[in-house]
Amino acid sequence: MTITVEGGGRVTGRHDPAAHPRRPRTSYVLFLLPGALAFLAVIVVPFLMNTYVGFTDWQGVGSPKWSGLANYRRLLDDSEFWASFRHSLFMVVAMAAVPTAVGLVLAAALFDYVGKHFGSRIVAVLRACFYLPQVLPIAVAGIVWSWILAPDNGSLNALLKAIGLGSWQQDWLGDPDIALYSVMGVMVWVQLGFPLVVFMAGLQRVDPQLYEAAELDGAGWWRRFWHITLPQIRPEINVVLTWCTIAALKVFGAVYVLTKGGPGGATDVPSYFSFTTFFEKTQVGYGATISTVLTVIILVLALAGLGLQTRAEDAEEGGRT
Amino acid sequence: MLTARRRVVTTAVVLAGSLLLTSCGGSDSGASDGRTLRLWHYEGPDSAMGAAWNEAIKEFEAKHPGVKVKFEEKGFEQIQKTAPMVLNSSDAPDIMEYNKGNATAGLLSKQGLLTDLTAEAAKRGWDKEIPAGVRTTSMYDTNGVMGSGKWYGVPNYAEYTMVFYNKDLFKKYGVAEPKTFDDLTSAMNRFVAKGITPLANAGAEYMAQQYLYQLALSRADRAWVDKYELYKGRNDFHDAAWTYAANTFADWVKKGWISKKSSGTKAEDAGVSFIQGKAPILFSGSWWYGRFKAENKFDWGTFLWPGSNLTLGSGGNLWVVPKGARNKNLAYDFIDITMSKKIQNLLGNKGGVPVAADPSAITDPRAKTLIDNFNTLSRRDGLAFYPDWPVAGFYDTLVSETQKLITGSEKPGDYLGNLQKAYDQGVPKQ
Repeated sequence: MTITVEGGGRVTGRHDPAAHPRRPRTSYVLFLLPGALAFLAVIVVPFLMNTYVGFTDWQGVGSPKWSGLANYRRLLDDSEFWASFRHSLFMVVAMAAVPTAVGLVLAAALFDYVGKHFGSRIVAVLRACFYLPQVLPIAVAGIVWSWILAPDNGSLNALLKAIGLGSWQQDWLGDPDIALYSVMGVMVWVQLGFPLVVFMAGLQRVDPQLYEAAELDGAGWWRRFWHITLPQIRPEINVVLTWCTIAALKVFGAVYVLTKGGPGGATDVPSYFSFTTFFEKTQVGYGATISTVLTVIILVLALAGLGLQTRAEDAEEGGRT
Repeated sequence: MLTARRRVVTTAVVLAGSLLLTSCGGSDSGASDGRTLRLWHYEGPDSAMGAAWNEAIKEFEAKHPGVKVKFEEKGFEQIQKTAPMVLNSSDAPDIMEYNKGNATAGLLSKQGLLTDLTAEAAKRGWDKEIPAGVRTTSMYDTNGVMGSGKWYGVPNYAEYTMVFYNKDLFKKYGVAEPKTFDDLTSAMNRFVAKGITPLANAGAEYMAQQYLYQLALSRADRAWVDKYELYKGRNDFHDAAWTYAANTFADWVKKGWISKKSSGTKAEDAGVSFIQGKAPILFSGSWWYGRFKAENKFDWGTFLWPGSNLTLGSGGNLWVVPKGARNKNLAYDFIDITMSKKIQNLLGNKGGVPVAADPSAITDPRAKTLIDNFNTLSRRDGLAFYPDWPVAGFYDTLVSETQKLITGSEKPGDYLGNLQKAYDQGVPKQ
């Protein structure tokens, strides 16, 4: 741990009583206690119980039978799990990479172009429109999308037919070659508003003089975006990427409502796979193993994301001093 | 200062302790007072069963002055997913509706979470009223396998599958109403020639696998069903019946009798396409009967799958009495009322399939056909259960594998091979 003290010097792992007076620190710990205990009750204890169950053979009722690493060995050889994990990586593309990239361009365009030419009210309306899917419950959005994407009377196919592109009609959620991409498309729509709003907030704190100076120097929109917008809101990009990657790895609701992992497992993801193993197959021990592994993966990614962010912030602060 | 700090700590500990307790689910919901019957079921209030159970509650309260029925409406999924945990806690109701089958009621009975109802069934005569085919799902052995052993649940109704057809569409397109299997296939051919997909199907849910199982049943007998559902011998998915079913199903998709685009369709969509008069034929269960009766704007009829002695069906969901129920005698009284002629007749007239109704009291003509067909099936021991029953989680396997068969991404032989693998992995070792 690195602590910055007055005068700009850095002290590593050493306690400085003058910098932290005793009394306020003690009461601060006390105020943390209820939260910490609640965290223990609803996160740590269930997680430890889940980890334990992952080492057993259990149907959810009766006594669990200790089975050691058998579930983990089974997981390693389970092609269905690894297929679901591969689909998770597609979800990372749909829920983190694409929304971040598109969100960046859209945020910059709204902030830098639409704002200037059409006024802040139009920007606010557009931003709200992009954010709307984030407010809608996924169950509702999913059902509406399943109507839109329905093969026979879905509005997407009807629209394609109406504009003379009848040959492009597809069984969007029922064709194993297309279903995953359809779900990804829906998730891009769901997810886009979040990065957009975060990036627009980030852009508020960028010094407008930077843009003005660049504009005077003859830099076009794209150049200003690349050399000013991107570097200036890097902390926001890090936060969004970490957050969205975690959301992508644990995505469940959309798959449950849209496809139930089908057709033929083409859209299965680990959280849904774990759910069916738990409740449909009543293999609670194996289901717990899957969710333990998933939690560990998410935890590692979250910590790595936070680490990268801290390092970037440190580097930035170092650069400024 | 010290006192204040201690107070903060105490408050925090109490708060966290209560959170811990809540998360462990240990709340007590009232002692056995003999004056409350806690009842859970998941039938919609407008369904035949919902209406019958509501009447039964009124009847129960009239016969038990001072006793209140505390009914909690639950969702099917809710009960299905949480039953073991609820029954393991002190929150268990006195009586609840539960899904029948090895992976559900069988599993709970094996774990000792349900009350043995054998003595009550004999004492109150339920064992005589409920036909043999329906009774199969009431009884479970020590391994939780249905068909023999002790009574752990009582079904008051039955369900079975049939062919629903739109008489108006048949007339409009000059297609004769089918009497035999050949009639059915030639009718489907005629519809395809007119540009209409004849069979409503739902690949994302149970419907597709039920078509397939029905095709297998048309080449099977009771011993085949017992082998598959009750593990009496090794079930071979490459036998003649399964092979015929997979090949025929794939062939029907190729011929356009079943839409290639139905792999992602849900049962509700298929039902609605029939109600809207788009699909002329739908093969599904009696659970659609009430809905079709209320919503179909055309003349329609039903018949049993032609050329097959067996069809999908079973006793309905079960009344079970949790081991920890506090008012078991009241629960038995309630079951008894649901078995009474009055409630059974009401169930029949509302479009359900009662197990002990008085035939002369069923006045609705369609309901009469429904019950007559059930009696025909019952007489020939024709209820062959459902294809997803033998193995926990087999429903999902059947859905995803049959979807591949619909989209043509899997050949019938590979399809059957994958079913065999999943079945062998999940079938209980005895």
